[in-house]
Amino acid sequence: MTFTISAEETRQVDKHEHGVGELNIAVEGSTIEFEFMIPGADIVGFEYVAKSDEDIAKINQALKTFDDYTNIFTIPSNSLCELNGQKVALKEDDEHDEHDDHDEHAEENHNEFYAKYSFECGNINAIKEVNFPYFATFTNSGELEVQFISNMGSTSFEVEGDEPSINTDGKI
Amino acid sequence: MLLKLTFNSLYARLLTVGMTVFAISLSLMLYMSVEKLRTSAYTSFTDTISQTDLIVGARTSSVQLLLYSVFRIGNATNNITWESYEDVINKKEVAWSVPISLGDSHKGFRVMGTNSEFFKRYKYRGEQSIELEQGKNLDDLYDVIIGAGVAEKLNYSVGTPLIVSHGLQSFSDHDDQPFKVSGILAKTGTPVDNTVIVSLEAIEAIHVDWSTGAKIPGQITPVEEIRQMDLSPKNITAALIGVNSKLQIFQLQRWINEYPEESLSSILPGVALQELWRIVGVVENLLLGISVTVIFTTLIGMTAIIFSSLNERRREMAIWRAMGASPKVVIGLLMLEAFIISVMSIIVSTVMLFLTLYVLQPWIDNTYGILVNIEMLAVKDIYIFMLFIIAASLVSLIPAIRAYWFSINDGMTIKI
Repeated sequence: MTFTISAEETRQVDKHEHGVGELNIAVEGSTIEFEFMIPGADIVGFEYVAKSDEDIAKINQALKTFDDYTNIFTIPSNSLCELNGQKVALKEDDEHDEHDDHDEHAEENHNEFYAKYSFECGNINAIKEVNFPYFATFTNSGELEVQFISNMGSTSFEVEGDEPSINTDGKI
Repeated sequence: MLLKLTFNSLYARLLTVGMTVFAISLSLMLYMSVEKLRTSAYTSFTDTISQTDLIVGARTSSVQLLLYSVFRIGNATNNITWESYEDVINKKEVAWSVPISLGDSHKGFRVMGTNSEFFKRYKYRGEQSIELEQGKNLDDLYDVIIGAGVAEKLNYSVGTPLIVSHGLQSFSDHDDQPFKVSGILAKTGTPVDNTVIVSLEAIEAIHVDWSTGAKIPGQITPVEEIRQMDLSPKNITAALIGVNSKLQIFQLQRWINEYPEESLSSILPGVALQELWRIVGVVENLLLGISVTVIFTTLIGMTAIIFSSLNERRREMAIWRAMGASPKVVIGLLMLEAFIISVMSIIVSTVMLFLTLYVLQPWIDNTYGILVNIEMLAVKDIYIFMLFIIAASLVSLIPAIRAYWFSINDGMTIKI
């Protein structure tokens, strides 16, 4: 008796483009959430797994910068928004073959900074624009591709350092 | 006094001045209609689908998914299996969903298989729902509901029989299973107008005797037998999805995009519309550029006309000087002339624009599905007009200064 075992596997890799960070903004009721996914190259200038003390320090410094959201973006103060949840992480996407420990493959790794901030707002309609000190904070940063959704529908923005803001007037 | 003098002078040259005003009016109208069409097209375009949070289809680009699922342009690369669809809609984030099955056609109009949720959930222009204008819902397996455009162009009414063709441009018909129009939808100005809607089961039914895109030779299952078969859909082309909370949307989107069993894509319709509009926007800017150029050309034309009339009018100016007008007054007169011409052009062009829009609006709506709003001038238009008047007065300074020199040199005696 013979058995045939067919190993089914699906291979897929998330897109990853240096110089392009992703930002998702969702608005529901009085809550607004910002979710950033930014390639390591845009933040610390490298994407290999940090091994040297200097690189580890850079990563930690960057994570600390993300801890204070005002380094990344600002919302109008008259919207009375209060931060009520945040998560900052470095997603290390180690695609090594398990039997392959050669260091030269390390360059194929892609690190991604992930940061999510959730706000409760007293006057959410006052968020007529969002500014991004992000571009000044991280000099390696490229553009941000923004997906935005509220009860008014969804839209998108492309933000770059020369005009680091989006106009959300009438969209919330 | 000065105004009356200018008016009379313009009146004396009615024909040339009239032609100038007409030329400028036409170019201003061109600019305004391009602007109007541009904004109307954008609104019509973005109003095509609302309230839908995500569109799910096989792995493809967001623009392509939007084009085939909403605008019925182009084709899907793949369908998605019913199992995957169920996995997606069983997620707790999903509030409602509408499956869509495409691929067949009727006389050039796309046939879309869906269920009753479509009529409840598909919204356009904000909160607008699609409504039946005549007839009733899809009750029978072989019922179809047609959009207003289909009914009008093919002259169909409730009860008209029709045959669905296999594929989009093919000569093979599903003629063994004729359908019947059960309802006609009210006009929406969206691609729904040009869609033939059947049930998902009907799509399965007409493909019973088909295998991998071709009819199985000699096999014709009788309609009565098909009616008894299990016609639950095995695959669909795309699905419209609504979520419980907008805050969960990106999480769900990521889950769908990383769904391991099948390669799926999920897009936010508004995001894809923006992306598509950015592509179309190039043409839009081109049109705008052309109309701005036309306005400039006309301004230069106006200057040229004033210039060429200067020689003929040296006597007129000599008389003005004799009446006691200083050379500065001559400059003022010519600038006033340009001012009056531009104001008159603006009035004429606005009247012409509204008349044209009024006449063409139904045609544009019918042919292109773009509803041009005939509304009062926007603040932006007023700015443009003011800018134009200032530009016209400034440009007229060139001939005016020349006239100033003429009148200083000529005095009251003209040396030609």
